This record gives sequence, C-alpha cells and structure tokens, in this order.
Amino acid sequence: MSKPLKCACGSDEKELLVRLEEIIHSMKDKPGALIPVLQAAQSLFGYLPEEAILKVSEMLREPLSKVYGVITFYSFFSLKPRGKYLIRVCLGTACYVQGANEIITALKTQLGIEIGETTKDKLFTLDVGRCFGACGLAPVMMVNDDVHSWVKSSQIGKILKTYERKQPKKEEATV
Amino acid sequence: MKITINNNIFEAQENDTVLDVARRNDIYIPTLCYHVKTGQTAKCRACVVDVEGMRGMQTSCNLKVRDGMNVHTDTKEVQEAQKMVVDLMLASGYHNCLACERSGTCELQDACYHLGIEKSTYKDAPTGRKDESSEFIVIDFDKCIKCGRCVNICNNRVVNEVLGFGYRGKETEIMCDDDVAMGLSTCVQCGECVQICPTGALTDKKSRGKGRDAQFEKVDTTCPYCGTGCQLTLHVDKAKNKVVRVTGRDEWPNNGMLCVKGRYGFEFHASPKRLQYPLIKKNGKHEQATWDEALDLITEKIKTTVGKYGPDVFSALGSGRITNENNYAIQKFTRAVVKTNNIDHCARTCHAPTVAGLAHAFGSGAATNSVDEILETDLIFVIGSNMTEAHPVVSYYVKQAVKNGSRMIVCDPRRVDIAHWANLYVPLKVGTDVPFLNGLINEIIQNNWHNEAFMKNNTENPEDLKEWIKEYPVEKASEICGVPVEQMKQVAKLLGTAEKVSVIYCLGITEHTTGTDNVKTIANLQMVLGHLGKRGCGVNPLRGQNNVQGACDMGALPNVYHNYISVKDEKTKEKIEKHWGVSGLSLKEGYKLPTMLHKATTGDTKILFCVGDNTVQTEPNMAKTIQEVKALEFLVVIDIFENATTDFADVILPDVCFNEDFGTYSNLDRRVHLLRKAVNPPGEAKPTWWIMNELGKRLGVDLKFTSAEATWEDMRATGTIMGGITYERIQHKGLQWPCPTVTHPGTPILHTNGKFTRGKGLFSHTQYRSQAEMPDKEYPFVLSTGRRLWHYHTGTQTRNSIGLENIFPEELLEISPVDAARMHIKSGDMVKATSRRGEITVKAWVTERSPEGVVWCTFHFREAHANILTNDAYDNVTETPEYKACAIRIEKVSEGVETVSRGFRQARP
Repeated sequence: MSKPLKCACGSDEKELLVRLEEIIHSMKDKPGALIPVLQAAQSLFGYLPEEAILKVSEMLREPLSKVYGVITFYSFFSLKPRGKYLIRVCLGTACYVQGANEIITALKTQLGIEIGETTKDKLFTLDVGRCFGACGLAPVMMVNDDVHSWVKSSQIGKILKTYERKQPKKEEATV
Repeated sequence: MKITINNNIFEAQENDTVLDVARRNDIYIPTLCYHVKTGQTAKCRACVVDVEGMRGMQTSCNLKVRDGMNVHTDTKEVQEAQKMVVDLMLASGYHNCLACERSGTCELQDACYHLGIEKSTYKDAPTGRKDESSEFIVIDFDKCIKCGRCVNICNNRVVNEVLGFGYRGKETEIMCDDDVAMGLSTCVQCGECVQICPTGALTDKKSRGKGRDAQFEKVDTTCPYCGTGCQLTLHVDKAKNKVVRVTGRDEWPNNGMLCVKGRYGFEFHASPKRLQYPLIKKNGKHEQATWDEALDLITEKIKTTVGKYGPDVFSALGSGRITNENNYAIQKFTRAVVKTNNIDHCARTCHAPTVAGLAHAFGSGAATNSVDEILETDLIFVIGSNMTEAHPVVSYYVKQAVKNGSRMIVCDPRRVDIAHWANLYVPLKVGTDVPFLNGLINEIIQNNWHNEAFMKNNTENPEDLKEWIKEYPVEKASEICGVPVEQMKQVAKLLGTAEKVSVIYCLGITEHTTGTDNVKTIANLQMVLGHLGKRGCGVNPLRGQNNVQGACDMGALPNVYHNYISVKDEKTKEKIEKHWGVSGLSLKEGYKLPTMLHKATTGDTKILFCVGDNTVQTEPNMAKTIQEVKALEFLVVIDIFENATTDFADVILPDVCFNEDFGTYSNLDRRVHLLRKAVNPPGEAKPTWWIMNELGKRLGVDLKFTSAEATWEDMRATGTIMGGITYERIQHKGLQWPCPTVTHPGTPILHTNGKFTRGKGLFSHTQYRSQAEMPDKEYPFVLSTGRRLWHYHTGTQTRNSIGLENIFPEELLEISPVDAARMHIKSGDMVKATSRRGEITVKAWVTERSPEGVVWCTFHFREAHANILTNDAYDNVTETPEYKACAIRIEKVSEGVETVSRGFRQARP
C-alpha cells in the first residue's frame, strides 16, 4: 500500500505529480532520460516518493527495478524527505586528509542529527559525498548548490546561521 | 583458423570466443556469469586464461579468437587466478552445500570441484537472509554471487521486468521491483531465473527436500496447458510415481522459457481426486464398476438406441486438451462404428471462426507463420489477445521483439498488460472489430499504402473489395468503434508503411456472433497489405488449448475428416472406408456442438460422449446447458477429474493425463510435438484410444488401436498433411504440417510466393453487426470474459496443483474505477452480477484494465463462473458463442476488506 505523499515545501502533492507528468512527457523520447527525469523529480519533491517512482517507471517504460536500482546507486537521490538545505561533506581523499571528519563531528553536534538524518524543523539534512572534484579547496562542503571551501570546524556555526537567517519569520510564513 | 589451447591445436570459427573453442573440446573453464542465453558480461572473472603476447589475464567468455592464438588454461598462474576469484565469491556469502537444493547441478560447486577448493580461505559472512514470500521461488541472498544472469533473463528474455540490481558496492543485491518481497512484487513466477541461476540463490520451493537431482529420471515432453506447445523436462521420482520438478527444454518454440502453469502446475497428475475407476450411475449415485461392466453397458446402450433411432442420435465431443491420437480415436469411432459425423470439440467455443474464416480466405485454417518469426517482424499488430496471461511464452517473444526495436499496436477494449509495451494502445468498443478493421483498410487504400501487385496477382477479387470498402470511411468507422479518427489514421499509417506486419489475434476476435467475419476481415487486411507468405508476417491466431489445433487436424469436426477433406466428398469417403475396412460412412455433415446439445431437448440427440470437455461449465448459459444435458438419455464422460459435467453422467470413465501415455499435441504454429509417458496412471485409468478400441470390438469393428503410436500410424496412412510425421522424426524436435512425406522438412510458413492453399486469396465482404445483446437500462454493463495467468480451462488441472490456488483463489469481477466510484464499490466488496440467464456473487476488483461500462471475469471457478451469465448467441457460420459480450447488471452485496493494487501491470491485485 502506498504511503501518503509529503513534501518538504508543503506544495499540494497531487499538483506536484501533475507537474512531474509534464516533465516526463517533455523528456521521455530522449534516450537516457531516466537520470535527468529522476533529478527533476527529486528537485520537485525534495526526495523521491513512491508515487513519483511508479510514475517515472510507467511513463518512461523502464522496469521499476531499474529505476529503483538507479535511485539506490547514486547518493544524490533520496527515498526519504530531505530538509530544505542538504549539507554534503566531501569525504574524498584530499578532504579526508584535510580534516573532513572534524567538520562532520561539528555538524552532528550542532544539528543534533546523524548522517542521513534531517533536523526536526526540516531545515537541514546531513549527508556525505565522495569527492566533489574540488580537491584544491579541501575540505569542502556543499549546502544545496553553494560550495564552502577550506572549511574549518570552528566556522560551522556561522555557516549554519546564514541559512537559518534566510528563513521567513513565523508570522510572515503563515500569511 | 586454428588456435592452440594447452599445447593442443584446435579448429576455430570466425566469431568464436576462446571459451567456445574450449567448451567444444571439453576443456573446462569455470564460467559463472556467462550463459549462452544472457551473453558475455565478463563480470565474474572466473573464466580468466593466459594468452601468449597479451598482458595480464584475459576473460575467455568475451575474448574473440585470432588465428594462431596460444592460450593456456591449466598453468599454475591461471589456476591460482581462477581460484582467487572463486574463493572470494565463496567469501562474499555463505556457500554451504550440505542442504542446498542446487547441490549436484551448481556451477559454483563445479568450479570449486575443478579447482580443488574445499572451503573458503576467507571468513564467510552468513546473513541468513532469505526471501520465501513467493509461492514458488526461494531467494537465498547468501548464495547469490551477483552474476546478473537472473536480472538479464528477467528483463531481456522473458521481459517480465521484475528483477534488478539495487544499492551499491558491497551492498549490491538482486531485488524485485522497488526492493519489495518477491511474493508482493509484480513477479509472475515464470521461474526462468531459477532455471538460469548458477548457484543455490534462486531455487524452486516445491521440490525443496524432495530429493537430489541425480535421483530423478528426466523425461522430455510437451506442456499440457496453452497452445504454445512448450517443450519441457519432467524430473520424475520413479519410486513415488510423481513429477517433482519441471524445467524448460532449450528447443522451439519456447527455448527453455515457461510460464507459471507450465513450470509449477504439475501436481494434478498425482492428485488423490483423480478419477481412478469406471463409475456407473445407479439410483442417482455414481458407483465403482469394472471396465467390462461399464463398456458392456455403453455397448448395449449404443446398440439399442442407435438400432432404434438411427446413428444421428449419437454425438461425441473430442477435446483440445487430449492428444491427437485420442481425438482421432473418438472421431474414427464415431464415424466408422456409429456411422455418424456428429463429432465436434471445444474449438467450436473458441477458434472455429479462425478455421472457417482462414480456410475461406486462404484455403487453410491455421496460423500462417511460426512463433520464432515474431522476433523478425517490423510491426506487431495485436488484436483481441491477452497474451501475457493466456499465452505467456508467446508474449515473451513479442516483448523481446519490441525491446529489440519492433513496433507494436495493441487493440483491445481492455487495457491488457501487453499494452504496457505497445507503441500505441487502441481501446475500441467491444464487438466493433469489423468496422474498425474495415476503416483501416479503407484508409490504407485511400493513401495508396496497399500492395497493389499482391492484390492483383494473388487474390481473386481485389476490385470488389476496393468498391465495397468505400462504405467504411474512417470517420464512420470511428463513430462505431469509438476510436478517434486521428488515432485510426495513425494505426493505418503504421500498418500501411511497415515493412513486415504480423497480425496476432486470439479469442477477442473469434468469440463474437461476428467471429467468422472478424477473422475474414483480418485476412482481408493482410491480403491488402500483402504481408503473407513471408517470414515475420502473416495472420497468426493464438490457439487456446494445448491441442486445439490438433483436435481440428484430427478431424474431430462434423464437416471434415482428419485431412481437412469434406465428409461430403465421395472419393475421400471411399478411400477412408477402404483404409478403415468399413462401409457406409455418412456423407451428411454432422451437428456442431451447440446443435448437438439443442437437439437433446427435442429428443434428437440421445447419447453424448464427452471426452475432456466439461461442457456444463464451458458452454454459455449454464442453466440451459444443464437442461440439455439432463434431457440426454445417456451421457458418457471420459475425464481425469470429476467436474460440473460428470455430475450428470450415466457412466464416467477415468482417462490418463499428459504424462501417463505417449501421444502428440499440435501447437499454435502447426508444430506436432511428442508426449512421453513418465508415470503410471492412477488406479485403472485408461487412454481414450484403448476405450474406443474396446468399444469398437464390442460393436464389431476392429479400430486397430493397440497403442498411441499405432493409433497415430493408422491416422497417418490417410492423413496427408501429417503423412510424413512419425514418432521417430519428432523425438527431439517438433515438425510443422503440412508435412506430406517422411523426407519433407515441414512447413514453417504457409502460402509462400503468393500461392495460397486454395490458389488465390479470397476477399470477403464483411459488414458491421452489433453484438447480440446490447446493454440497456435494466442490464447496463457489458460483460466480457477471458482467462487468467494462474488458471486454465475450468480449473481442474490448475486448482488441483499446489500453489496456483493460493495465488489466485477465487474469481474476481474486474470493474473500472469510474463505475466503481459511482456505485460505491471498492476492491474486495462482494457484488452480485445478474444477466437474463443467471447470477453469480463474486468479489469486485477495481482496475484500470476495465474501460467504463465493461466488466470482466473468467470461467475458471466452478463456484462462480462467467458461463452462468454468458449469452447463448452464436456466430452465424460456426456456432461459436458470444462469450465476449453480454449485458448484465451489478449490485453491491456487502463490504469487504479492501485490496489495493500497486503499479500498472496486474496479473493479480
């Protein structure tokens, strides 16, 4: 039985599915559409809910096991709802040597979550990556599409604050 | 070219791999991912060899030979490398052979044996993880070596697209769909993955603990289910007189592939419910009797009744489920002993319009091309066939063809599962095939897409067709069949511009009051396009039962002998009389099945012989059929189980089943296959040929049936189309008729070079006639009927085999979400379906397969089956009932536990 759809940004789930259908429709005749479609779905929902996966499989006529295989192969895809900001710390060789682990420890402590988890306010999800290809900037972490280079564990608090500040105040949010 | 392996020189061909040459010359190289069916992946690296002049070890499974290549497979280095690979494989799971089902046939075990590995050097890491949720298949993840064969075969050969690889790195594992338990997935349990798995990771649940492979006798035979005629091997426990396992044989038409029924539906042969002794009805109860008592009683009855009223009060039914020999026996008995042509069989209820329609148009009433040619076609046009359920193995080929680039159009009122793979799905209204196809033909001719040369040179009356087809402009056709004009034009263009078109149809075409017209219109279409007599083309009806083609071929029909020559032909009569050693064969065509039954109520049919038919449950309007059967003076049923018809029988005779005697079946592409005896029949069960021979003796005619083969030889002497097919010739591989002489290679394609069996092809003028019973205010739904993947015929075989009944235990009435919402019906609720003829109470299944206004169910379940409701309206030419359309109403009876369907491919909820 399928689970009810939830999405990080709170948009109506049915509306999102319709938008996904449009996206798939526009891309489905191109060869190799599966990964771009899944990326689009992930950006749309913030993760890949069951309905979206079934829809992608049906409309692209790709076996469900193949779609799911791709999703579970790439760390970019998530089967669980993610926070508004996805923090990914590079664990490639250069970053590891330059102290990526300390950054992870700092993040875990300050956010109060483990790797793969999301904060209660759905703001941050903590994850790790394998070499972002920016070894000259090591250690590197990414928050959504922002790249933070030469990060020190002492800077973590300040970085997190900048994203927290971007949030609308509660009163505004309800308007 | 020549290559050297281990200092010996061997002959090699252009495209050989090193492995091919090694295997041909009995040089063992371990291969765990490579399989001839799934191809080279060079993934497991167990097949590495050393090649002089090449750096590092080479994988032999994908290494093409070069002239003068010098290969070593037995050096210390190579052995060490192979050993390392296999050793690591052992360490990746838990490979303990002690209680493994695969022990003895395991390729990993073989590799260890050859490499001398007794146990893994590394620590093994058992997780104990197994998936036993499936009814028939067990996955033991500890024994999986991730070779990928099962994933490949599931996606590329049977194209059921269930298995895949999930996750990454050392967490990689095989999974079903989105990593759900196999039993909950869309897996249709064809078992192909089990057959190809090199280790004990995928095994059959049924044969678990029943014995090691080596202790079973292997008997090659033919599947007793649908008309595909799959070749299989029975693994028989001789001591227990039981089949333990079934595997597919790598032979046409199935190349090792099977469906769930063929692979797992075999226990019925050993069911304690089998009929074992003759039974005679005394005081309303069936009592055990001796063969002599039963046969004497029948003899007496035939003598007195036929003596008094003449031979035509006797009728007999052969069957599409029994062998050619037994059909021949019953028809010869009816004609030579009783001297009537009142012989028919269940093709009347399914493909009689095919026989009549195609014989009319082409001169031969059978599929024109072979199953394997599906892979070579350009455009597959499927109309009225739920092939993923009714002919699963044919559907594998169709899906493979689509995967390899063929295009497919699926036309069906229901969104049958094969539509998922189609380029175009065309939902037309029930019973509007003639206007739909005529509209397409018109559009094709309008656009000059027709094959003018073919029409002119190879057909009799092309100008007539061009004239009358003008009555069907695509707009008018569209209005009748409910397919938008644009879509019709699209279909016409696809058909008209494709290089090779193969039309595949099934009972959606024939089981209508316009059945014969539907078939004739399909013939028209292919003659207009000129796609006949060539590879990958043709008109290909999917014959329903295992031997329904053969039952027709054997002359279990009221109008023709076993060589399709009319009973009205004096010369044939004389020839056959001479061969059979009798005189006075009837020149009058016999009654067709429905007429035989109708005539019971007027006293014109008094004795009915019914072999393997279960008439009461298979004929439309059961209440009427029961009246007719009751009105008979004497009913003899020869069958393997009690069923809805045996209740009314005066004498029941126990028959043998598919693995208890020799014999032959003819499949849907006219291929005659051999059946072999694997076990002894239960109790005193006897083959039909023996019964007929005994009755013949008692009635003074020697029918010469001393064995199944003798019966076949007797047929062969006068059966010209099969005259060249002997048991000897079909020991390993079937032969396709026409095969007139013992040196003839058989005929895969009919009507080659534009020469039809009848000379020139004949176009028929077909007109739209609506279904006999249209929905109205009182009965607003159209009921259509069909078959399910998990069951066969009236369920006597599948419901007496273990497991299929667990998967699909009761009939479900399929209803569209729109209708269901309107009537507040959800899946699982009980509903009452009522027609003018009866009512059934069944569970509802809300599914998008059903279009609005159409509901659907099958006749598999005696408790609640479609034929209580169906309409006894018949095709005007062949008397085939309109099973595909009658009017019913539906009421909700009670709430049930909701079952939720997931996904879009649905062999079950």
